[in-house]
Amino acid sequence: MAEFWQQVVTGLATGSVYGLLALAIVLIYRSTTVLNFAQGEMAMFTTFAAWSILQWGEYWVMFPLVLVMAAGLGAFIERVIIRPVEGAPVLNIIIVTLGLFAIFNNIATWRWGGIPKGFPTPPEIHVTGIKFFGEGALDIGPTVVSYHDLTIMVFAVGIMLALYLFFQYTPLGLAMRATAQNPIASRLMGIRVGRMLTVGWALSATVGAVAGLLIAPLILLQPPMMMGVLLYAFAAAVLGGLDSPVGAVVGGLIIGIAENLVGTYTPKEWLGPDMKLTVTLLIIVLVLLVRPTGIFGRRALRRV
Amino acid sequence: MLQVRDLVAAYGPIVALHGVSLEVREGSIVTVLGANGAGKSTTLRAISGLLRARSGSVEFAGQRIDHLSPEQIVSLGMSHIPEGRQLFSELTVLENLRLGAYSRFAGADGSGRLAHRQGLSLLGRLQHDLIQAATGGVRDLARLIREYRQRRQDFEAALKQIFDYFPILAERKNQIAGTLSGGEQQMLAIGRGLMARPRLLLLDEPSMGLAPLVTREIFEIIQAINRTQGVTILLVEQNANLALDIAHYGYVLETGSIALAGSSVNLRKSEAVRRSYLG
Repeated sequence: MAEFWQQVVTGLATGSVYGLLALAIVLIYRSTTVLNFAQGEMAMFTTFAAWSILQWGEYWVMFPLVLVMAAGLGAFIERVIIRPVEGAPVLNIIIVTLGLFAIFNNIATWRWGGIPKGFPTPPEIHVTGIKFFGEGALDIGPTVVSYHDLTIMVFAVGIMLALYLFFQYTPLGLAMRATAQNPIASRLMGIRVGRMLTVGWALSATVGAVAGLLIAPLILLQPPMMMGVLLYAFAAAVLGGLDSPVGAVVGGLIIGIAENLVGTYTPKEWLGPDMKLTVTLLIIVLVLLVRPTGIFGRRALRRV
Repeated sequence: MLQVRDLVAAYGPIVALHGVSLEVREGSIVTVLGANGAGKSTTLRAISGLLRARSGSVEFAGQRIDHLSPEQIVSLGMSHIPEGRQLFSELTVLENLRLGAYSRFAGADGSGRLAHRQGLSLLGRLQHDLIQAATGGVRDLARLIREYRQRRQDFEAALKQIFDYFPILAERKNQIAGTLSGGEQQMLAIGRGLMARPRLLLLDEPSMGLAPLVTREIFEIIQAINRTQGVTILLVEQNANLALDIAHYGYVLETGSIALAGSSVNLRKSEAVRRSYLG
């Protein structure tokens, strides 16, 4: 039983990262119906930038810098690259985001090289004698949880809470929700729809950047590092319902846990760890057969 | 208050308005009648900026607005309550009303200071920004707090007024808008439009899909809004009988042109209107 809980907790940590990246995807999809295939590469790119900053600066100096940079990158991409193809057929926009995928991947390989680099976990902070972040592990009940896994979960919960408060209680958040639902009526209310989309991309890129910073210590920093994560994140978003932020997070957690349990408990002879991706995705397909709009999705998805 | 001259508007190659001219006097209710597809909604869309006019002019309170965006036009004091209500159906009643007041919140942030800054030279701007950065923070914060309080009171007052007109909205304020009945949704659409405190209200077929009794109630409230608050109203309607009951003046639109214009009393007497619209 201890092993079971151990796998669940570890799954929760990686699932949080999938959930964060899925959240980034959903934030953009909800307001623009654009599926951003470059979401993972954008996160990889900002993580490399973080690595460069870490060569001369402290982690906690780098952290806010990278978030601001990611927001700027997201806003820039929306204004300069996505805005011109707004209203174009869905396939065109998908090709554009795939192009972005290639661009970020190439730039990262050219600038930073393809050799995997180590990436640090956030350094420890002591608040009233309690240790936060840093190295080491903690005994919680029957399980041992690494500080990094705890860090991931703390960040994930913090970001989700912040986003919830932002969307629920600020005028800007309300305006963004309105824009996602009905752009024309939003314009009649005086909301500048284009600006809301820019803010949406900025937010999404920032959330993605955090996902990148948190997963890099586990899987090493390298240009293709986010490919697997992106696949899981898309699966999480679809499982939870592409238009539901809550669904994205829950989907991520489910996939994180399922992945670990499948890897541990299926017999090695015919499934085992090597097949955990296949089995996880199979489970998702089965869920979607029952609920085509995902667990929390309300609107019927458009056929694309 | 509103002057429309020779308005031509089109959806791609299809010309929907062939030179429409009309006038709305301050404080009046003016109605635009016409059959389906005559161009009534298109006229409103061209006035509120949702549809860019191909030629002609729209003047609102002495200012040309035909080149402005709908976001800018609403902050000048014109609310467009569109066909089919266009509520934010997954948000609550209160959230819809809050969004109605959005234009009053968004434009207010230091726009005076921004205009002043834009008038300066490049070096002047830099100096202005540096002085602002050094001294403005505290002053700005005080001003922000004052403005926030002011707006908060404004908002509460507007909200109270709307709940007075539509008490049912107060009861349902935390309900999701999409779950309201048709009549309640129309009331919410009107209330949301009024939250912007407009001087001119463009109303597109408020009677659509509603029971006669509910329609009558809503028309009485529209009349009350005009009388007690002095809001000028441009009303597009298929139900000519009801519209002429509350309007002072009316236009009849046929395939994109004004076919007839006159006071409500005269329109009601006109043979053409009787035959086509009053039955």
